[in-house]
Amino acid sequence: MLLSDGPSVHKFTCLTKDEFPDASDLLKSHQANEISRDTLVASTSAAASVVCAKTFDGRPVYMGRRTRRSGRTTLTNAAVPGGSTFDKLLGVPIHRLMDQLSDAAAQKLVHEDALAASGTNASARQTDQSDVSLWVDRYRPKCYADLLGDDRVHREVLAWVKEWDHCVFGRSKGKGKKRARAEDDEVVDELRRPKEKILLLSGPPGLGKTTLAHVVAQHAGYNVFEINASDARSAQVVEDRIRPALESGSAVGSSKPNLVVIDEIDGATGGSDHTSGFIQKLINLTFERPQKKGRKKDSKSSRPLLRPIICICNDLYASSLAKLRPIARIVRFSRPSDLHLVRRLRDICAFEGLRAESRALTALVGMAQGDLRGCLNMLQLLKARGKEVTEPAVRMATAGMKEADTSLVIVLNDLFSPLSRKRAKDLGLTEGDEARYVGRLSREVEGTGAMDRVAQGCFEHYANLHQHDSNFDRYLKGHEWLSAYDMMSGEMRSEREYALLQYLSYPLVAFYPLFQERGGLKVERPKVDWENYMKTKTNEEIYKSLAKGLRTASTRHAGDFRHLASDEVLQLELAPLVNRIISPPIRPVNSQVIRPGERALLSRLVNIMVAMDLRFVQEKAEDGQLVYRLDPPIDVFVTYDGKRASDISVSRYAVRHLVAAEIDAKLISRDADSSEKDKRKPNFFRRAQEPTDEGPIMGRDFGSDVLPRKRARPAETAEKVATDFFGRPIVASKHEAVRKVSGGNKVVQTQKYRVVYRFNEGNSAAVRKPVKLEAFL
Amino acid sequence: MSLWVDKHRPRTLDELHYHEGLSARLRALAASGDFPHMLFYGPSGAGKKTRIACTLRELFGKGVEKLKIDQRVFMTPSKRKLDVNVVQSNFHIEITPSEVGNYDRVVIQELLKEIAQTQQVDLNAKQRFKVVIINEADSLTRDAQAALRRTMEKYMSNMRIILCANSTSRLIAPIRSRCLLMRVAAPSPAEMETVLHHVAAKERFHLPDEAAQAIVADSNGNMRKAVLVFEALKMQSTDLTGSLAIAKPDWETYCAKVAELILSEQTPARVMEVRAKFYELLSHCIPASIILKTVAECVVDRVDETLKADIMHWAAIYETRMRIGNKKIFHLDAWVVKVMSLYKQFFYGLDLSGFDE
Repeated sequence: MLLSDGPSVHKFTCLTKDEFPDASDLLKSHQANEISRDTLVASTSAAASVVCAKTFDGRPVYMGRRTRRSGRTTLTNAAVPGGSTFDKLLGVPIHRLMDQLSDAAAQKLVHEDALAASGTNASARQTDQSDVSLWVDRYRPKCYADLLGDDRVHREVLAWVKEWDHCVFGRSKGKGKKRARAEDDEVVDELRRPKEKILLLSGPPGLGKTTLAHVVAQHAGYNVFEINASDARSAQVVEDRIRPALESGSAVGSSKPNLVVIDEIDGATGGSDHTSGFIQKLINLTFERPQKKGRKKDSKSSRPLLRPIICICNDLYASSLAKLRPIARIVRFSRPSDLHLVRRLRDICAFEGLRAESRALTALVGMAQGDLRGCLNMLQLLKARGKEVTEPAVRMATAGMKEADTSLVIVLNDLFSPLSRKRAKDLGLTEGDEARYVGRLSREVEGTGAMDRVAQGCFEHYANLHQHDSNFDRYLKGHEWLSAYDMMSGEMRSEREYALLQYLSYPLVAFYPLFQERGGLKVERPKVDWENYMKTKTNEEIYKSLAKGLRTASTRHAGDFRHLASDEVLQLELAPLVNRIISPPIRPVNSQVIRPGERALLSRLVNIMVAMDLRFVQEKAEDGQLVYRLDPPIDVFVTYDGKRASDISVSRYAVRHLVAAEIDAKLISRDADSSEKDKRKPNFFRRAQEPTDEGPIMGRDFGSDVLPRKRARPAETAEKVATDFFGRPIVASKHEAVRKVSGGNKVVQTQKYRVVYRFNEGNSAAVRKPVKLEAFL
Repeated sequence: MSLWVDKHRPRTLDELHYHEGLSARLRALAASGDFPHMLFYGPSGAGKKTRIACTLRELFGKGVEKLKIDQRVFMTPSKRKLDVNVVQSNFHIEITPSEVGNYDRVVIQELLKEIAQTQQVDLNAKQRFKVVIINEADSLTRDAQAALRRTMEKYMSNMRIILCANSTSRLIAPIRSRCLLMRVAAPSPAEMETVLHHVAAKERFHLPDEAAQAIVADSNGNMRKAVLVFEALKMQSTDLTGSLAIAKPDWETYCAKVAELILSEQTPARVMEVRAKFYELLSHCIPASIILKTVAECVVDRVDETLKADIMHWAAIYETRMRIGNKKIFHLDAWVVKVMSLYKQFFYGLDLSGFDE
């Protein structure tokens, strides 16, 4: 504030410190000054425009203020070096002055341009146009020959599109382009389409994937129908837009057939898990078979794909593309050589009349890492600012460019090794900047978008470094940071505190000062954790099947095994011990001649294995030998580091053969038993309905397990009055009474038919209702 | 044929071998007709579930043993399907909501309400209420526990809840205060020996005292484990005389090996080696906190007195962190590095921090 009031301060430079005027005074005068400046009224009479000061001896001095002569322009003039050499203090902050300066220069340039253009109308129009269109668009390749980059990639794409020619344009070129589709349909299945119906272009941004797709389509005589991220991309879109586009063959009013370009497909949803997602629909589209001629009319929804589809993505390994990858032809884009890019840029600069150093252009290309679009935008920006393309200008303009796009391995390597000279130069960092690593690295870590994997990478790599750390000091520190990271991310996920996300990268940056090492081992993509994860998954499956076996066992054995099926017990106690229980030392002898002791052991083993649903399954090993494998393979739980526990005897093939045979026999007899059992299941109705246990009606005996209990309390049953659902006693109806009176013996003698009936033994006991026998007859 | 654990599991309160006082109390409660909600807690293998089953038997008679086991499907609000195994008789239902992890609230809400709102229809039933047994109650999420609170009060006439947990510390106070707490302590070695002898007698063979002692010593008051080990032993060698090698679960042996590795050498290479072992254990689905606890106990057994407290202290700290975070291996590894550093400092008797670089 003080500085901004240049002239008045200048007046006080003669005064010493203790006589310095009040800041408020200065402020007040300054404000007044603003007003006066705005109104351009030079009033000296107002008290506000008088400044009060004190001399050494305390005498107040009043000074009138000089008014400004005019507005801002004069101020600028005054501030221009040379114009204000009398004063080192500026009226306007330096950056503002610089801006004004460049504005003025730009205006001057524009003015000059306009002057030069005034002569020829045509060139004036061109300048107008230059203001509206982006260079990227203006210099977009129009034809195939204009394309820049790897020729092989271009040719591959073109060749694929050409493979469709037969299907789309008909077999002979002479017959005109619009062949009826119906004729193609006759060629059942073989429509002469390429093997992969979808082309997947992948590569970093700015290399010209979209351009290539468009150019090639045009070159091959197609009309491009584009869907990109700006359109909704749901399964509905496939039905509503893509399918019609593909089936109509050509757009309205155009004679060219359609080619669908799906841009930025990696952002589409529902690739991996949803069955009705966009990508799944797209895949379904390609699999549709041509219909038989007769049925063609009634099912119009499944016509075969007859037009090419090109998909474009940045990240080939995006999870949403997992299903698309196997069925698509994949073309990877690589970065064109810097030389070509620089040449193209130089041409463009020359055409635009922009003076450019080739050194600057090389730096630009290096910084952009081959992103031509980025380069062009940058150049246009520089042009608009009216600057020349020099190296410092490029450096300034590109600060922050491309930092957001880094891959996991690169980030990990950056964390564990200091910046290489070349990269530092590319980024234009000085020694000082290099030493300030936190901002740079944290941005990089954040940029990967997969911080968990960065953390995993750090975790897997740090102990591989050959640094002397006798006391594990650095390791401990590293672990503290990792712990902090893990706790924070855990908290973030469980409590949904996503505000923590912005701090997550910092604990990982700490690995740089702790472990950075020039020329150390290259960091590899972390994979141990994934392998472990996969292994855990398989083992969990085995546990699940074991638990399932236990649960089925518990239904058979009156709930016996159910307490063992809980996770913890299963993992810690049952799994290892069951393995020992089921591998007793049995000699491989014929089951007929086995000793009674062993016989008992064997039958017990078989019983347990049958109960728990464990089998030995015969399989062929890689060397062609037959082996018996335990199924589910719970023996993995006694196998650590690929070695079985030493105290469990390895059962030999012959033993397992014996056991397997016994198990099979047991299973057969059990199945037979259970089907028998079903037939003579005790009847619930009995209790309420029948006064006697041995009624002739049933015609069959009850299971022996039920009878004794029933017999034990005949008095109870006799006393109990039959009740219905609501607990009311049932009065025996006439029919029943008659039957009872007539006596059982007659019925038994005359009617000999066996009555078999079923009832649904439900879960609920709510509908227990006496039913008369007549109902079944 | 069932395993011995199940075959010789007591079915009634009278058959229970130990904690007579507890049995008497349960019997009195069952007879009183004023049966409260209950919370059974105690270490694993102490006999909580056995006691619950016996109490039910006492309450309802033999009908509770006629079990039906099926899978119920629940829908989360986000339309995900959850399969829950339900064990039920006409008088009670047994669920383990922790099977479905974070969605246990859905199961609690839907299943409990369904049961609570239907009355006991069997007029011959001894009690007017049904019983819901919730296993692994201490791993219920907070939401699920909250869902339980009101239900427990509201449907008291139709339903009683029996919770079964390892410790009460992870149950919220409102739940604890609504339950009658029943602590089932681990049996003493002498009690365990009687049980083993009882099993042997039932199986009609003689169990030598030394063998019984050896099994009991190894099983840490876990009756289930003791009986399983006993059966394994019997299967492996028919006569139980002579010197016996009590089968330890393999992961325990492996943990001991890891402890050995940590103490025998303290180098970065060894850190990596130990880490590989941890991964092996984790991939066998052994819970990380159990790994840490077991390894720490093995380490503490072998180090000097002065180090013990420190090692356990750090184990506790890293276990807390493990629970907050989600990468178990980070914290296991961190603990190993810490222990190595502590051990090294102690071993060389001086601080080596000045020797670096």
